[in-house]
Amino acid sequence: MTAARIVINEIKGYHRFIKFMMVLVGAAALASAVRFIFGLGATTNLNDLYPWGLWISFDVVTAVPLAAGAFTVGIVAHVFHIKKLEPLVRPAIVTGFLGYSLVCVGLVLDLGQPHRGPYVLFNWNVHSPMFEVSMCVMAYTTVLFLEFLHPVSEKFGWHIPLRLLRTLELPFAILAAMISTLHQSTLGTFFLIAVDKLHNLWYNPLLPLQFWLSAIFTGLSIVIFEASLVHKYMGQPDESELLATLTKIIPWVMGVYMLVKVYALAFLSHGPLFDRPMLTALFSVEVIVGLLIPFSMFLTKRIRTDKQMQLRAASLVIIGLILNRFNVSMFAMHQPGQPVYFPNFIESVVTIGIIAAHILFFVLIAKYFPIFEHHPEATDYTIPDRFHRIEKHGHGTVSEA
Amino acid sequence: MSAGAIDYSKTRTFLIDTTKCTGCRGCQVACKQWNQLKAEDTKFFTGEGYQNPPQMSEHTFTRVKFKDYEKHGQNEFAFYKEMCMHCNDPACASVCPVGAFQKTKEGPVIYHAKKCIGCRFCMVACPFGVPKYEWSKAFPLVKKCTGCYSRVKNGLDPACATACPTAITYGPRDEMIKEAEKRMAARPDRYVKVVYGKEEAGGTNVLYLTQQPLDELGFKKVTTRPLPSYTWQALRFVPGIFLTVGGTLSLVSWFQHRKDRVKREEEGRNNRKEGNQ
Repeated sequence: MTAARIVINEIKGYHRFIKFMMVLVGAAALASAVRFIFGLGATTNLNDLYPWGLWISFDVVTAVPLAAGAFTVGIVAHVFHIKKLEPLVRPAIVTGFLGYSLVCVGLVLDLGQPHRGPYVLFNWNVHSPMFEVSMCVMAYTTVLFLEFLHPVSEKFGWHIPLRLLRTLELPFAILAAMISTLHQSTLGTFFLIAVDKLHNLWYNPLLPLQFWLSAIFTGLSIVIFEASLVHKYMGQPDESELLATLTKIIPWVMGVYMLVKVYALAFLSHGPLFDRPMLTALFSVEVIVGLLIPFSMFLTKRIRTDKQMQLRAASLVIIGLILNRFNVSMFAMHQPGQPVYFPNFIESVVTIGIIAAHILFFVLIAKYFPIFEHHPEATDYTIPDRFHRIEKHGHGTVSEA
Repeated sequence: MSAGAIDYSKTRTFLIDTTKCTGCRGCQVACKQWNQLKAEDTKFFTGEGYQNPPQMSEHTFTRVKFKDYEKHGQNEFAFYKEMCMHCNDPACASVCPVGAFQKTKEGPVIYHAKKCIGCRFCMVACPFGVPKYEWSKAFPLVKKCTGCYSRVKNGLDPACATACPTAITYGPRDEMIKEAEKRMAARPDRYVKVVYGKEEAGGTNVLYLTQQPLDELGFKKVTTRPLPSYTWQALRFVPGIFLTVGGTLSLVSWFQHRKDRVKREEEGRNNRKEGNQ
């Protein structure tokens, strides 16, 4: 049997849902080809009034905080050393790695001159938030790739890289948090320049801080969301006990976020807040559905044990974040009297394809690599070896290192 | 972004007296000729009144806006030449990740097309909506008024200022402000008491004198603070935050891992003792 035959047979065995995802990704690939042949003007609804549309609002501004699960769980599990959360780390890293890779794909489609992307490395402009985010995204995608090599090395039994990666696990978790803090907040700084464009309900000097805080609690919610779905649909063990720990952390971050938001609205905004009914409505939905309801759910005792409730609260947080990022980057940037931007078919197909690609690759990676079998009781975390260990076990591991 | 050393009072500035503009659009034509821009296929009355083309674009760096209004029961026109304002501290230059925009010491804000990656942040950032994109191309770049830098560098005035028969005066910024104030003082009934561009966005190299209130003419209300300062007030903390987060988390992890370390070492000691016995 040839290699192609094996691949085809393998794909034939996949679930219908996976095949459907493949179709969506294929459609998005076709749509992107159209963008490169006919140009941005012909394939998108972007114009000089709306230089940024769906591809920036979702594929970059929203996708980055949605991929924040990797660094937040990294902090909780590795830095704060809550070992029992270890099973949550790997799926989060895979999600993060896929998320950031797809952010890069989205950027390549959206840039006018994608082949010049690396110019950012050589023409530094430290005054540009975009410069900072590009550097961070490149750096963090690299870190996530290295972290992702962990299950890959385990799968193929590469001992030396595995040891190296285990030694670097903690430094990587800290580095990830450092880089993420910068670019998650700087995505908010993007919109500080739009001082006369972004509506006062969202524009205030603390926007970067709000973006960072909301990325943290959304990152943790994404972990809950993902673990619940993986348990439900992929037959993986129920982690709701571990998720209970996260449900204790989330309300604290949300609480601080809401305080900052209220303070900024009350004292740091300039000009009228509730002068545009449409924006007032969007703001209310964002705050009530995306913040107040899930916040009160996280405060209940029931959520520590009820996995349905965990999933629901996490989903609400995620919806709230998506709405918040769209409000800031799209809806509240709209000026009264201007025509309204609405993404067209090709833009939508590409963004749907990017989401589908995320799900598809996650499922495939989980299928072929040890993502979930990473329970601390089954894995030896004492590597890297201390000299004591080698002494204790004699010469067993010396030759390997 | 090496704007720090520039003496803004000496940068070359357009003083556009809209009360003297006849709406001939000679500036539009001169601009197209000097910059070799394509003609646009346009129709009358697609924008407001006789204004044509309806907006600035990749092919149109400047154009005269027409505003109909009524005075003493008569229909009148007001004209306003729209173009890049050539800010003292330009938002486009500050947000560009590769520094493709540059404030020159002569005054014009110029664009280095060879550096541009096409992210369009400049278009989002510009408070006046000046940078335009080549939407028709597969690999588009940004287009905007160059302030005729190639002419200015060689001692010539910009094409539009040269072509204009009445309304544009061109010279050092401080002199242009003085001239504007002189005109306002001499004919107080002719002008509203504001020089648009003197304070807007921290000061620009295009100044307007008008008869109508600014918002009626379609001038955007813009902050008087230089726009880059809004992002810089957050970005300046970046190195500090980077190190603080790193330091704090390292300390936390050291403490959190300490318990394990102590335990492990004790075990090791015990094991060795046992081994010795």
